[in-house]
Amino acid sequence: MDFGYTPDQEALRREVLDFIEANVTPEVLAERDGKDADGSTRPRGRAGPRMKELYDKIHRRGWLGITYPKEYGGQGGDRLTQFIVEEEFLRAGINIGLGGSGAPAVLAAGTEEQKRYFIPRLIRREISFCLGFTEPHAGADLAALRCRATPTQDGYIINGQKMYTTSAHSATHIYLMARTDPEAPRHDGISIFLIPMDTPGITVRPLWTIQNNPEAPHGTTYGEARTNETFFDDVRIPKSALLGEENKGWGIGAAALNLDRVGASRYLISIRRDEDIVNWLKENRDGPDAPAENAAIRDKVAELWIEAQVCRLMTLRSMSIVQRGGRFTYEGSAEKVWAPEHGVKTTEAITQMLGPYGQLLSSSPHAVEEGVFAHNVMGAFQSGINHGSVQIMRDQIARRGLGLPSQRRSRKPA
Amino acid sequence: MDVLLTEEQDMIRTAAREFLEGECTTKLVRDMEADPVGYPPGLWKKAAELGWQGMCLPEDYGGSGLPLVYLGLVLQEVGRAVAPLPLHSTTVAALTIARDGTEAQRQAILPAVVRGEMVLTWAITERDGRHFNPAIETTAVVEGDEVVINGTKLFVDNFPAADHCLVACRTGEGLSLFLVDTRSPGISQRSLVTTAKDRQSEVIFKDVRVPVASRIGPLNEAGPIIEVMLDRASVLLCAQMLGATRKDAEMAIDYAKMREAFGQPIGAFQSVQHMCADMIIWIDGGELLTYEALWRMDQGLPHSVEVSQAKAFCNDRCEAVVRNAQIIHGGIGFMMEFDLHLWFRRVSSWTMRLGTSYEHRARIAKALIDLPGRVILGRPVPVVMEETREEELRRSA
Repeated sequence: MDFGYTPDQEALRREVLDFIEANVTPEVLAERDGKDADGSTRPRGRAGPRMKELYDKIHRRGWLGITYPKEYGGQGGDRLTQFIVEEEFLRAGINIGLGGSGAPAVLAAGTEEQKRYFIPRLIRREISFCLGFTEPHAGADLAALRCRATPTQDGYIINGQKMYTTSAHSATHIYLMARTDPEAPRHDGISIFLIPMDTPGITVRPLWTIQNNPEAPHGTTYGEARTNETFFDDVRIPKSALLGEENKGWGIGAAALNLDRVGASRYLISIRRDEDIVNWLKENRDGPDAPAENAAIRDKVAELWIEAQVCRLMTLRSMSIVQRGGRFTYEGSAEKVWAPEHGVKTTEAITQMLGPYGQLLSSSPHAVEEGVFAHNVMGAFQSGINHGSVQIMRDQIARRGLGLPSQRRSRKPA
Repeated sequence: MDVLLTEEQDMIRTAAREFLEGECTTKLVRDMEADPVGYPPGLWKKAAELGWQGMCLPEDYGGSGLPLVYLGLVLQEVGRAVAPLPLHSTTVAALTIARDGTEAQRQAILPAVVRGEMVLTWAITERDGRHFNPAIETTAVVEGDEVVINGTKLFVDNFPAADHCLVACRTGEGLSLFLVDTRSPGISQRSLVTTAKDRQSEVIFKDVRVPVASRIGPLNEAGPIIEVMLDRASVLLCAQMLGATRKDAEMAIDYAKMREAFGQPIGAFQSVQHMCADMIIWIDGGELLTYEALWRMDQGLPHSVEVSQAKAFCNDRCEAVVRNAQIIHGGIGFMMEFDLHLWFRRVSSWTMRLGTSYEHRARIAKALIDLPGRVILGRPVPVVMEETREEELRRSA
């Protein structure tokens, strides 16, 4: 049992912090937020020259793709190193992750050719995946998906619709789950494909979220300005687009999703507001009636802080399990219940500390911290829905972790 | 960084569990609830043979000198078995003697504790019941080479079993701590009747004379010694509480798998499943907080905030878990003849001792809000030293 970091790890953290101070400048962050040097704007998610230069520098330091094998352009490093580096960059507003569960799935199930093609380019950020799992009639019950991939002589033809394909408008590829065998039991007829977004027959239509009118400030929990629906009309793809075996896609997708539920970004999403509100209380201490002096607020802040520590510690537990080469029985799901619900609880508690200021969105006069708290209220609950809702996670803990039985569908009198 | 138990830690825990499963029946637990002294000396001796009392005491006095985390693991198992052993009060007091006592005091006490021939406790709290900065009215007045103690202490654990007791007294300028033989003339006790049906007492000191040499630490400056002792006591009680709570939850989960209603096990219903999932999440969370606090103590790092995090969380969540376990059991859990209440009553009692959720959260809020600098989760929060009663009085004057 060891809750500390080694001197080497502490030195690495220091190195990352120094790098961030020198390189993550206000100009870089402005460009990240879509404001270019010449005053023009660009869609979020498409890196401009300054961001490209920053990622090149980060790559040269060996901080991209830390856990990926060297032969595919990674660093062959451990998860804890990745965690430390990623945590500091995320705190500074820079995402150095490989973006979701696509890359781990390629590494786990891809052919040698796919690994050699995708992984180095994902690490260099020349390729990015959007996630094509959810459909209009298949969300929490993902195995109900209907999008068809019909085998042909030399490949497949895709027809169907995917929902909430966040960043489909900026990603180079889609990491797609589709049904290859409609006759098989639900989980057994599903396959995964890696498809370039510029393939003919793919149409992306924007879906705008309630969190972004006006635009949410950077660092908003969840905070996606735009998501999409993506349509596939007779999209012809080669056999080489298949990831893993045909009809074995369910297991590949589930294993990678499980890993994607833990780690620095999940945990930071859920605890950032705890730090913000404590620091805000400290900085706005203007007399005996300030919120910081209110006994009820002080008690609530301490309660939230403790829960945030549990988020951190559950993440470290997941890290420890993965680091030892173990597998989760329920620990990843536990983290995915606790952290999002905590994030929502804090978000809502903060509204009652800010009072009427808690309503003010980013473009409003008198907005607190660029309106981040108000924008959070509009979307913090999303983290309890996406990537497996907290209800689904509790089902998994109960059945897989505690061995409780499944409910019988029809009740017969005893 | 690896927050899981090591193989050795897991072995110690498993050995303790197997020992108590064999030795500590619920019949014994029930018998001891009715026993005036409240613990079985035979089992206490066997625990000493396993090295429990001396686990974290220095090797010079027969102990094993292991980190506190190990004692935490054993106390988790004591809690799991709701074993009627005065291990918590004895080890906490012994650790204070080891850290702050004189060589003569250590020689007189520690080897006997290690051998299982002595039980210890402490007496700090008085009628206000507060955990931090209790108003201490018990006085100790020096007369020649003796000290005369007068006053009344409350919520003293295991007093009928204890051979010695650490007593916090006002000594003119400040607080001092004394090691008092419980058989000294002038001491009397009244048993409190608690939900745990454990042995807590009101202890009355009337002109009790002890040698000046029985003082632990410097005169008038026992505040920091008491703070360290109570922090250890709080976090070790968390460990004991978590062990009991996890066992209680496991009994409820097993019951849910077996008990049928509406033609199927009640554990097949999502409402029950989600209750059980939450119970496990809460216990795991408390365990991680407790282990981190113990680990920080072992590293000599500041730990007051971490201790309070653990105790506040365990108070609220363990109480919720054992209440849920009662609800899952339905009426049967309410019956005297059914064993579940042995865990429920104890956990509930432990949540109220050694600092309430509100007291511990007030201490955390002080560190977070009142000390300068921005906070970052996962980085050390500034250390908060408890305001002494003197400082508080001076401030309010």
